[in-house]
Amino acid sequence: MVSATNLDGDYSFHGKNTPLDQFEGVKIHLYRLGTEQRELDALKSSACADQGSPSLLDTIILSQWENKSREGQLAYDVTACKLKVIEGERDFVIQMNDKWNSFLLNEYGKFSHPFGCSKLSSTKNCGELLLCIEEGEKNEPEVVPLTTPPNGGVMLIANAYPVEYGHIFLVPNPTNRLSPFWDKKMFGLITKIASEVNSAAFRVFFDGTSIVPNHTDFQACYFASPLPVESASTVPVYDMKTRSGVRVYETVDYPLKALVFCSNNAKALVNVVSEACLTLRENNTAHSLMISNNGRNVFLFPQVKSLVTGCYLSAWECCGYFVYHAKVDFDRACEAEISSRMASFSPEDGAFEDLKDLCCAIADDLDTCACAE
Amino acid sequence: MESSGATAAAEEERGLAASLTARYSAWVAEELDELGGSFLLTDPAMPGHPIVYASRGLPALTGYPRRAVLGRNARLFQGAATDRAAVAGLREAVRAQRAHQVAILNYRRDGSPHWVLLHVAPVFHAADGRVLHFLAVQVPIVSAATARRDACRGPAVFAACREEARVEEELPCAATHAGEVFVDIDKRGLEAEEPRVASGCDKEKALSTASSIFSALNRYSKLTGLVVCGKRCDSVGIPALSSSLNLSLGRIKQSFVLTDRHLPDMPIVYASDAFLSLTGYSREEILGCNCRFLTGPDTSVEVLEEINRHICSEQACTVRLLNYRKDGSTFRDLLQVSPIRNASGKVAFHVWVHLDESARCDFNGLAPEIWQLGAVGAVRVAVRSLSASGSLLRPAQ
Repeated sequence: MVSATNLDGDYSFHGKNTPLDQFEGVKIHLYRLGTEQRELDALKSSACADQGSPSLLDTIILSQWENKSREGQLAYDVTACKLKVIEGERDFVIQMNDKWNSFLLNEYGKFSHPFGCSKLSSTKNCGELLLCIEEGEKNEPEVVPLTTPPNGGVMLIANAYPVEYGHIFLVPNPTNRLSPFWDKKMFGLITKIASEVNSAAFRVFFDGTSIVPNHTDFQACYFASPLPVESASTVPVYDMKTRSGVRVYETVDYPLKALVFCSNNAKALVNVVSEACLTLRENNTAHSLMISNNGRNVFLFPQVKSLVTGCYLSAWECCGYFVYHAKVDFDRACEAEISSRMASFSPEDGAFEDLKDLCCAIADDLDTCACAE
Repeated sequence: MESSGATAAAEEERGLAASLTARYSAWVAEELDELGGSFLLTDPAMPGHPIVYASRGLPALTGYPRRAVLGRNARLFQGAATDRAAVAGLREAVRAQRAHQVAILNYRRDGSPHWVLLHVAPVFHAADGRVLHFLAVQVPIVSAATARRDACRGPAVFAACREEARVEEELPCAATHAGEVFVDIDKRGLEAEEPRVASGCDKEKALSTASSIFSALNRYSKLTGLVVCGKRCDSVGIPALSSSLNLSLGRIKQSFVLTDRHLPDMPIVYASDAFLSLTGYSREEILGCNCRFLTGPDTSVEVLEEINRHICSEQACTVRLLNYRKDGSTFRDLLQVSPIRNASGKVAFHVWVHLDESARCDFNGLAPEIWQLGAVGAVRVAVRSLSASGSLLRPAQ
């Protein structure tokens, strides 16, 4: 661990000038998103908007995560884990990590209860809590230090078993959850957060691969280099000059079939991807998502269950990033083996064609609605 | 909305022009316009590694008006049948910041493919060895049949180029342009021809054009007092960081330096702008130095020893001590020192985040110590970036 042993109370997350309120309930920082960001959507498409310093939200997430790491809240220092690029057509990235544990957030148990209730009254139980984010009403974003997390917020929780630096869970307050499977409002908020972080390294994952309800949690991580799927070639599936401005592509020459949704119009992008995911869920089709490019690109990976293992790929595995537990496997990993493993989760051509048709129809429908408005 | 869009576009254009004029004075464009052939200059320090200059010979070869390519990544010249291996070779050369020549299939604006010999070379800042620009010269390679038919005519027109398209994939801001890339690729035909081989004559043309460009840039850079050259001169004797790492570090606003753990006496290999304004030193003065130049008679020796102990045990520490600016004045320094591991999991650097405790700053409700950790986190992410060879340092030539 990197964490220092000499950090005393003065350097704790709460800071010496803001003593922890002994009041019952959790007190954490609340970040309220500004409303102006939506209107900036179009402007952000120009390259110059991406220049400049890290955003406030980016800095807060990184500082809180680093602080948790120093406090010893994480199971290991992920930056001490070796990364390797398997050079080839895809440049898959693999990590050697014998401590990683893929348990899901629900297995924490404690986080499946509404925040603010007595279950979380002790700060000892929320050691990994970083921040709460909610929609704001002011133009500018604002930070409210040490407050009770609101019901409509998203909790950012450090994953004690990170797959890369800054690995967090983004968990909606359970009392606010409208659907056990997919909530468009939540997805919209997550996309806004991705945009607000405004870091090319920040990527958000979603695994819609579990049949158990309540596994609707998003995760996010910082990857300094693009993930392999982001470098894959693509061809347009739907590229009409539509009012909503959502373009849909499919990957070519990538072992796992994937659709890529791109738009500078965050609302339209959220609408199209939400409809697609809801339909997939209704058809019991497992799928994973990855949001990149500050919330402007969404990768959708429909999956079929592996007949061998009975499981699915995680969202980052779909993107070409794999964690190995055993050194011998790590050393032996090769592109052919990874490609064929990924391909075994790829849907049949017919099913994928249907999905493409569906996505085009959804984009068309929403566009018609947009024009009618 | 539209007017703000236009303003943003105008601002972007000014930013691109400034990339040239800040280094080589306002007159360099005219001189470059006089040069024959087709070439580009790109700025690796700007997000997306955009084209900042396109020569007058460019439209004739590629069909793109000069303005149409400014601000875009040179990948726009690539197409469906462009050889991946050739692109990978270019990418590696740009990453390693060395010159590279390769025959590559490019695409004109109308989608028609054509073979060119591409010559890419870095332009170095003479004083600190940073790469300021890449230049890319393109010489059209005619097919053997056309060459025979045209043998009696004059020399082929120089062709302009695309270039470090692949750089974008390495840069942290890469994803920004992913959407555009998707569109470009499939509209192009797949009518790839047999690979062509550049003749010795083509290679010489590319070299001589590159050398004229270097000579113009060098001449005009002297006007701004900056001076560029085609060969790296590491005057401070430390290896420079890769341009993508430099770009990522450059975004971080806190006051910090990065020291190389593997070089003798742990010299500074990067210093942030905020650190320079805090201490009053210039970058040239401190690159290559050990951090002890900040200390003075009233700096606590015990605290310095504590820092050393933590460095030796690869642990992070937070200390308060009295440090000295260049002008001799002192400041209460809240200092965080953290080991930074690279993609292979080994400690490669230490980051030293400094904060003048007397300065009134808004940390948005965070404790100053936590605010500083944001810089540590951002440095950790940047240093974890991957390259094919796994090195973040520019290899020695």
